[in-house]
Amino acid sequence: MRSLLPIIKGKKPRHPLLARLLHWVYAPAVLAGILSGFYLTRPFPSQGFSKVESAQKTHFVAQYLLICSYLARIYQAYFTKDYQEILPGFNDMAGLPRFLQYELFLSQKKPKYKKYNPGQKILFTGLGLLIPLQIITGLALYKPNSLQKTVVLAGGLGPLRKWHYLAGVAVFALSAGHIYFACTHDPNKLKSIFTGYE
Amino acid sequence: MPIRIGTEPLRPGKLSRSAPPLIWLGTNTCGGDAVSFLNSLDPGYLDLLRDLADCRYLYLTMTAEGDMATRILDEMLTTLPGKYILVVEGTIPTRSNGLYSVVGMRNGEPLTALQAVRELGTKARYVVAVGTCAAFGGPFAAMPNPSGSLPVQAVLDRQVINVPGCPVNPDWMMGTLVHLIRFGEPELDSFNRPKLFYGETIHNLCQRRHYFDNSLFAKQPGEPWCMYQIGCKGPDTFADCPYRQWNGEHLSWPVKANTPCIGCVNPEFPDGNAPFFEHLPDVRLPGVRVTADRVGALTAAATVLGIGVHLAGSILTGRLAHAFKQTFSGSGARTRLLQNLIQRFSKKR
Repeated sequence: MRSLLPIIKGKKPRHPLLARLLHWVYAPAVLAGILSGFYLTRPFPSQGFSKVESAQKTHFVAQYLLICSYLARIYQAYFTKDYQEILPGFNDMAGLPRFLQYELFLSQKKPKYKKYNPGQKILFTGLGLLIPLQIITGLALYKPNSLQKTVVLAGGLGPLRKWHYLAGVAVFALSAGHIYFACTHDPNKLKSIFTGYE
Repeated sequence: MPIRIGTEPLRPGKLSRSAPPLIWLGTNTCGGDAVSFLNSLDPGYLDLLRDLADCRYLYLTMTAEGDMATRILDEMLTTLPGKYILVVEGTIPTRSNGLYSVVGMRNGEPLTALQAVRELGTKARYVVAVGTCAAFGGPFAAMPNPSGSLPVQAVLDRQVINVPGCPVNPDWMMGTLVHLIRFGEPELDSFNRPKLFYGETIHNLCQRRHYFDNSLFAKQPGEPWCMYQIGCKGPDTFADCPYRQWNGEHLSWPVKANTPCIGCVNPEFPDGNAPFFEHLPDVRLPGVRVTADRVGALTAAATVLGIGVHLAGSILTGRLAHAFKQTFSGSGARTRLLQNLIQRFSKKR
């Protein structure tokens, strides 16, 4: 009966508690990392930090939170097998043109999807691949002495810094897209990342 | 009559018996590393000649030339294999069988740098690549690299000790040589550079580090603040320039002279860390070269534009209003309630 209660109230479970908790750890970490990272690349006072030292501290705290929450999320995805809902499959790719037609206002009929649409799946997978790149390049910049072998692979600290920045720019673009679609597409689904139910 | 270099006479016979033979080959190089090395203060070049090494061949200062010079190289191969130290200054051109750099003639045929380095390098006790060109390719292997130049390590199947710098600091080279002669191989980092000189970043050793931490930046060269915003490569560069300093007598270094560090000891120098007055290196795609900042600005503009256009489209077509209406009117919840109940009971059956 307890499991029926939310359903009777019209609620459909969407995000388990652990996924929500981890989301609210890595989402602020990514945003703090982006803001402090852009300040560290080009330190201008208008970017919200008074000095480099405070931006660095923010960046490093965000880095640790992101690493821990990302690893925990990967662990959760593996054991609950919810990666099957996130990774784009053949059907998603085949349905991509129909999805794009709707999103580009070329079609009126909204396609139905089980949990995530192909765009979301590509976006989440993209973030899932970019975050490890950010972590690896970021750690090598953070501890260039201890992780010099990673620096050798990148061809030097300069190219490594460039890849870290470019990956950061890509994470920024994907995060902005994610926030926009989450806020405007279906506010019910947005609610579910707080409550667990849509 | 004793030979004179500077004011001190060079006395023959004073050389220690343990002093290893030294060959300093110049390949594709500007000669800057050898000139810089001659400025070493303590020990100086004279000390090297008299006490430290049996300097048999140094392309810039030796009086021998032609067959006489080439004969020295041949003698080293036949009489002293495994005993001499080979120092290579410059890149090794590989195009046209290495004919873009010829170090002498042998039996009427050109002796290419490629051939000389391979032959001498195989039988040397230690091989030292001096300067960024020899160590990593540097300016002589920069795009478009018409001579197909490579660093020393790329043409030798053995360990090469890299002592980069453009030019090398006299202390770095003399220190490495003295370490090799007196104590053996120094501790090396992952780029095979002696940690003694390349163990910490310029940024961490910089006298202006506190300006960086407190966001006090120079807007143009000549200002006495942190050079980070005008492209200083100190954070990416492992070298002890800030406290060792330059010009033989340890007088100054780029940041002290109010210009940014250009990261001349780095493996990516110069192609991989240019432009020197930008914080990040350029992004190179086939046929396109664009600054990293521009990539960032274009991506941000595309993101904002994409979101803006989609938002406008959603408002104009009424999709946005529909989504919010459905959520807050309650009809959405009722529909979902029915859907969920149907789903639930159909599963049970």
